[in-house]
Amino acid sequence: MKPVRRAALAVGLVLAVLVVVFATREAGQDRMTTHLVGAVAPPVAGITLEDALWDLDDQRGRWVLVNFFSTTCVPCIEEHPELVAFAEAHDGSDPAVPEVRVVSVAFDDRPSAISRFFAGHGGRWPVLPADTGRIAVDWGVVAVPESYLVTPSGHVAVKVVGGVVRDDLEGLLDRALATLAGDRTGS
Amino acid sequence: MSGRSAGAGRSRAVWLLVLAVVVGSLVASEVGDQAPRTNADRVHALAGDFACPVCQGQSLGESDVPIARTIRTTIRTMVDEGRTDAEVRTMLVDRFGEDIDYTPTGRGLTGLVWVLPVLAAAAAITGVSLAVARWTSGRSGSEMDSVAGSDGAATSGNTSNRNLVLVGVAVVAVLAGVLVARTAGDRTAGDALTGDIRSSTRTLLAEAGVAAPAEADALYTRVLEIQPSNVKALAYRGWSRWRTGDRVAALVDLDDAVASDGAFADVRVFRASARHTEGDHAGAAVDLTVLDGLDAPPIVGDLLAASRLRQRIAGALASEGELLAALELLDSGLDAAERAGAGGRSERAALLAERGWLLASTRVPELVERGLAGLDEAVAVGPTDPYALAYRAVVGMAVPARTDQVAADVRAFAALEDPPADLTAALVSLGLLDG
Repeated sequence: MKPVRRAALAVGLVLAVLVVVFATREAGQDRMTTHLVGAVAPPVAGITLEDALWDLDDQRGRWVLVNFFSTTCVPCIEEHPELVAFAEAHDGSDPAVPEVRVVSVAFDDRPSAISRFFAGHGGRWPVLPADTGRIAVDWGVVAVPESYLVTPSGHVAVKVVGGVVRDDLEGLLDRALATLAGDRTGS
Repeated sequence: MSGRSAGAGRSRAVWLLVLAVVVGSLVASEVGDQAPRTNADRVHALAGDFACPVCQGQSLGESDVPIARTIRTTIRTMVDEGRTDAEVRTMLVDRFGEDIDYTPTGRGLTGLVWVLPVLAAAAAITGVSLAVARWTSGRSGSEMDSVAGSDGAATSGNTSNRNLVLVGVAVVAVLAGVLVARTAGDRTAGDALTGDIRSSTRTLLAEAGVAAPAEADALYTRVLEIQPSNVKALAYRGWSRWRTGDRVAALVDLDDAVASDGAFADVRVFRASARHTEGDHAGAAVDLTVLDGLDAPPIVGDLLAASRLRQRIAGALASEGELLAALELLDSGLDAAERAGAGGRSERAALLAERGWLLASTRVPELVERGLAGLDEAVAVGPTDPYALAYRAVVGMAVPARTDQVAADVRAFAALEDPPADLTAALVSLGLLDG
């Protein structure tokens, strides 16, 4: 075989390998949905709508659902009743149901609009209305709504991109509880 | 023979000159890049190095979506905190993934973006070299056949020239490959191969929006150098200058902005505020009346409501004896609030309260009566509006039939969470509230 043909064949082979590598590469969206899962939850702290200080670190020992939202985002409006139902079911009044604290972090919104939103749509959990940009960046929030289930040890167990559905949240919580129980028993 | 030798020398000199110019210009373009001089420059440079996570083909610096603005603000905070570019880069890649980094690392699969251009250049050089070698060997073979053995020295000279050409091509190609590889990682969407020459006005405006006043002024000025009629840059530079005390220059900018685009809502609010402070209440009222006819974004309405600018201007007009102008200004605002529907309800209550108060303040019985009716409407529209409650209580003090209502209004006012301090002080001074 002539040297030129040999070189052309080698280049062709390299290109073919590259095509295979790129075609089987992990998709970006997968990385987005698994980002932070298993890691220590980034900070969430600030002044709530009720003028109280709220800090995720103070919630150690409890499950927390961190929800990023905006009053002007349609999926956020659609998911809100689901969040309300989930929060009410896990408000700690039933010992048989694990307690989950919900906190909402408003993204690029106005406190007055947020107050009206919660007055109109319900929900009595803490809401951080302002100065939340750094929190959103720390959590790698790309587009609201996004929700994260944080374990009692302060680790992110689940990330949900898009609007949540209560039944899905229950399933995710059950799986996270089972995983945690498995970790504890060493199974 | 000497002629051929002189020709070969000239040819070699020309090639050397071409080589020197090409290499020199490439090196100059590389070393000519200046490091960012200010924090704003650094933020600008860093924002241009990363893709907006939710946009197609826009960098963080170019995009105006909320997440891009938020990330830019975070970059600015980190830069102001003294964090290095590497720390900012690590944070962003850690949070949003390596896909957003326009300057990927040399590790793993992404390292290919650095290696492939060099490989491509090497392959091109090899291909060109082989082609030239085949071409020249064929030609020299035929020449040798025709002048068999007649001019060995000339053949030797041609071979030397060919080698020089090949070496020159190889050097230029390698250098070009290396430089393209380096700049390929630095380029952002829409940049030329030779690098970013000028920031877009949109990027500069976004940067100015989160910059300190002095830096913001410089950024707005850069926008105006690129696009002298940019109304947003004129308006916001004017407002920035007003807030920093440079009133004359501020008013010039605000006037220029209005002249450039009279329908730009923000500048109407800025100029109304500035004119009111300067004592030109009538001019301020004109700006707000024009604003009411524009399709202004909701945030402008919020800004007006929060600052009570319209009420303050109306109050100033009334105190100068221009009650009619004051009422027209308030009526214009009421019409705009009416058009806003439910969202304008609180603003309607506040404006009705001010209207009723101004009428009642004339102490003309007929106008006082109309003022009280207006205050009744204000309380009906906004039962928790502090001004409606306080104004009606004060005006109602002079009407014996309203004694119970005054007490009820004062109780409702006292129950408000955070009533305005000036109203509280007024009610205390009138003996309506305990101090």
